[in-house]
Amino acid sequence: MSKVPRSFRLLEELEKGEKGLGPESCSYGLADSDDISMTTWNGTILGPPHSNHENRIYSLSIECGPNYPDHPPTIKFISKINLPCVDSKTGQVTPSTFHTLRDWKRAYNMETILLELRKEMATPANKKLPQPKEGSTF
Amino acid sequence: MASLPKRIIKETERLASDPVPGISAEPHEDNLRYFAVTIEGPEESPYENGVFELELYLPDDYPMEAPKVRFLTRIYHPNIDRLGRICLDVLKNNWSPALQIRTVLLSIQALLASPNPNDPLANDVAEEWIKNEELAISKAKEWTKLYAGKR
Repeated sequence: MSKVPRSFRLLEELEKGEKGLGPESCSYGLADSDDISMTTWNGTILGPPHSNHENRIYSLSIECGPNYPDHPPTIKFISKINLPCVDSKTGQVTPSTFHTLRDWKRAYNMETILLELRKEMATPANKKLPQPKEGSTF
Repeated sequence: MASLPKRIIKETERLASDPVPGISAEPHEDNLRYFAVTIEGPEESPYENGVFELELYLPDDYPMEAPKVRFLTRIYHPNIDRLGRICLDVLKNNWSPALQIRTVLLSIQALLASPNPNDPLANDVAEEWIKNEELAISKAKEWTKLYAGKR
């Protein structure tokens, strides 16, 4: 397999996100449709059922730097959330405590991250954590 | 890295030894399927005197699948959107393995010479193009000066 360059990888992800071909539980798109460098993205995660996140929609900001996808993007919750892998002050997902970022592989993409974060919300240890008021932001 | 198909090696060599006038295409050293491309704006088009940078990638299934191409230089053109994506039949349904990198780049150069607002990708640009062609052309010239100046 050859290496798909950054921008063509991001264009693939953009098309998938725009056409809604991904799962219903998350979405993502370019924050600024004029940004030819395709750096800043918005993401959303629909809170998993049977958890304190049920029916909530979480907004995130994703930044795909010049070395993406060789390096993982940085990702930050905009909506306030109580989750061990999320910095409680900034909303930043900390790579050292989130396996998808820590053990990043080039084949991963933004959808992988959003789905894995959603799984993280639903683990037995995390699903009943008390959550901030709905609609509050970092 | 997996070995490069003979066809790609041959095309790359010919692009260097027998270049198309007004077009350059060079592979990146660390990824020989990924090319840095420049296309000069055709004479007597609104893009005249501009040099446009593009990137081109040959997917694993090339030549069964078309190359992927995108403008890196901003351009005001009804068939090229704000992210540099190009609406061109040979890159989509009319791709044939008999076509090559050079024919694709020639088609893009031809698209610059004759914008087609009736088959738009950038809807806002196409609308302006149809409504007031003169104004659209002057805007395309202005953007060419602004973003595609020779370095």
